[in-house]
Amino acid sequence: MKKDFYWAILKRVASSILVLLLLVTFIFLLIRLAPGNPTQKYLSPQLSPQLAESVTRSFGLDKSIYVQYSSFVLNLFSGDFGISYNYRQPVFTVIKDYFLFTLIFSSISFIIQLLLGYLLAKYSFRKHGKSIDKYLSKLSIILFSVPTFVIGLILVYIFSVKLDVLPTSGIKSIYHDDLDSIKKLTDFFIHLVLPMITLSLAGIAVFYKYLRDNFDSVKSSSYILNLRANGFTEKEIFKKHLLPNSIQPLISIAGIEFGILLGGALLTEVIFSLPGMGRLTVTAILNRDFPLVIACTFIAGLMMVLSNLAADLIKIKMDKRYLKELIN
Amino acid sequence: MLNKIKIWHFILFVLLTIAVIRYTHLFNLLSLLLSLIQSLFVGNINLSAVIDISLIDNIISLLLIISLPITILRSGKIKKLLSRRLKIADSLLILLLACFIFAPVITLQHPDFQKNISVTKILPPFSLVDYIELKNRSNKNDDNDVKKLINKVVPVSYNENIIFIDSLKVDSSIIYYQSGFQFNVDKNSLVSINNKPVIESKLFLLGSDEFGRDVFTRIVYGSRISLLVGFGAVLVSFILGLTFAFIAVEQGGFANLFLSRLTDLFLSFPAIFLVILIIALFGNSIISIIIVLGFSGWMSLFKVTKSEMLSIKNKEYYLSAKLIGLKNIKLLIREILPVIIVPVTVNLIFQLSNVILAESALSYLGIGTGTEYPSWGSMIEAGQQYITQSWWLIFFPGFTLIISLLSINEIGREINKFLNPTIN
Repeated sequence: MKKDFYWAILKRVASSILVLLLLVTFIFLLIRLAPGNPTQKYLSPQLSPQLAESVTRSFGLDKSIYVQYSSFVLNLFSGDFGISYNYRQPVFTVIKDYFLFTLIFSSISFIIQLLLGYLLAKYSFRKHGKSIDKYLSKLSIILFSVPTFVIGLILVYIFSVKLDVLPTSGIKSIYHDDLDSIKKLTDFFIHLVLPMITLSLAGIAVFYKYLRDNFDSVKSSSYILNLRANGFTEKEIFKKHLLPNSIQPLISIAGIEFGILLGGALLTEVIFSLPGMGRLTVTAILNRDFPLVIACTFIAGLMMVLSNLAADLIKIKMDKRYLKELIN
Repeated sequence: MLNKIKIWHFILFVLLTIAVIRYTHLFNLLSLLLSLIQSLFVGNINLSAVIDISLIDNIISLLLIISLPITILRSGKIKKLLSRRLKIADSLLILLLACFIFAPVITLQHPDFQKNISVTKILPPFSLVDYIELKNRSNKNDDNDVKKLINKVVPVSYNENIIFIDSLKVDSSIIYYQSGFQFNVDKNSLVSINNKPVIESKLFLLGSDEFGRDVFTRIVYGSRISLLVGFGAVLVSFILGLTFAFIAVEQGGFANLFLSRLTDLFLSFPAIFLVILIIALFGNSIISIIIVLGFSGWMSLFKVTKSEMLSIKNKEYYLSAKLIGLKNIKLLIREILPVIIVPVTVNLIFQLSNVILAESALSYLGIGTGTEYPSWGSMIEAGQQYITQSWWLIFFPGFTLIISLLSINEIGREINKFLNPTIN
């Protein structure tokens, strides 16, 4: 069993690495085959041709595409993504801060989504059949359909423009550096309330709806009926049988959601001008800063793969049967 | 009473309302069409010089507004298809489609019409602005009837003869005011009755934006971009998903493995970055956006069609059709498509709402088609700068977007429920 487990995980990791490699290659080809020359953005037309050529050489764009690709892959395995065209720094030095922000921001949002989704689903399951259950269900469908940027702007309009209690953008105030450490934290907190709500609402709705429906379908299955006939209390049934069985299908969805979040919450970051991975990726794309683009997409893909892997591990931990499924 | 309203009742009602409100415009269009047909035989007008896209657009709207009620009323089949009970989601979708098809008839303005920005910019909903009109001097020599009618019917993005004003003073010459500044104009050059200048007023139903453009008109025209990109991208992903699934099922082996891995690859990466990358590299024309969004959405369709096709593969009718020697394309269209069309439709409807959402998000980020054409997303993006003073710039396009997405999702869910009654 132990051997099977490691074998399955190894297979899973290998196929993930292959997918990642394919992804990066695909993006590399896409970038190199696109019309236009990225050096043009960073060069004035008045520069002498020799200088322009030396810039092209420093970007490594003068060699043939095969040489470029092979050196790219070699660098990839040594963990070197090159130097950003725009920032003139190693790519990872540029990404570090942005990634840290995204990691913290997305993780908190993910925890909020799961927790609130679960609590609301539990609450509305306890009240099932009553009007509040129906309203919550309708509301979750609406929240799921509403685009993020509309939610964000509505929140900004209510809380920043009309009530004037929360700031509209950024992560800290101008006078942030003069504050003491506790006030600094509250300053961060105040700035991140609206973005957090904006990012989390749709996720809460998804988790709520999914869990609520699962509760219903598991509840009507025969083994729950059997347990109830045998005199188990509702609390015991809920905790030991209903909850684990309902949560299980949710885990893969949560894995995908977390992976997407870690790749960067683009729209939320744009609305509130936050320094996250999503905005960094898009500005890199628009600046044609290709080493940065490849590194950002690689990290987004890596996060996706890792969180899916984590979801699989949790699933195996909860239900050994899933391991067999995975091996086959 | 309300329960008895059927879908085709509502469609007729919408068409009739448009016809009643815009009867002068439709009448002008009709007479224009007749004189154009007449000129085909007489040959006194150079048709290719006269006809442009917005004229054709107008004429198509006219023909549809006449022919649609007739087809609905005459054909029993369509009537039967549309005789479900009307729900709110259905009626909203019908209104959206009406905006899509009859945009030039619903609003008589060009979506980019702007004039005297100092007077017309950022007006709240339901505001009326007075304007005076200069006499038409330039077109005196060509007093062709058809040209005149075309000028009347086809909306323009700029009209030099209209002057929006704050207030007006009539002396020996006419003085008008625009946001504090004072201008003179000759009395004789204005359109006037009994020596008094005619002051008309224009209604900005949902307010105006920072360039003095009418928000209502832009929302109506914005539905065209959304739905055009939506339908186009859905068609692309439908064709891609169907073809790939057919190849994967028929060939099996390596092709199957490769396509399944490819689906995993596309699913494992947040599509929005890929879409932005491709659009940034290859340009943001409507066609490229449709293709890119279509390519980013074929995976779910591939999975659905593949599982359906696997069950068809071993059925007798399919095997016999194959043994007869039908070509692949005929097999796909005649034998497979009719069976899988129903589960696929549900998927396509959800896909449509996804694509509309993605298009508006792209326009909001400033990389969609919204820079050239009015689009809901770009309207919201532009309104964001004025959020402190003018809520209507964000509220109305956002509201329209939400309503459209909700109604499309609701209809998809409804059809799904109809097909799989066990799912709650």
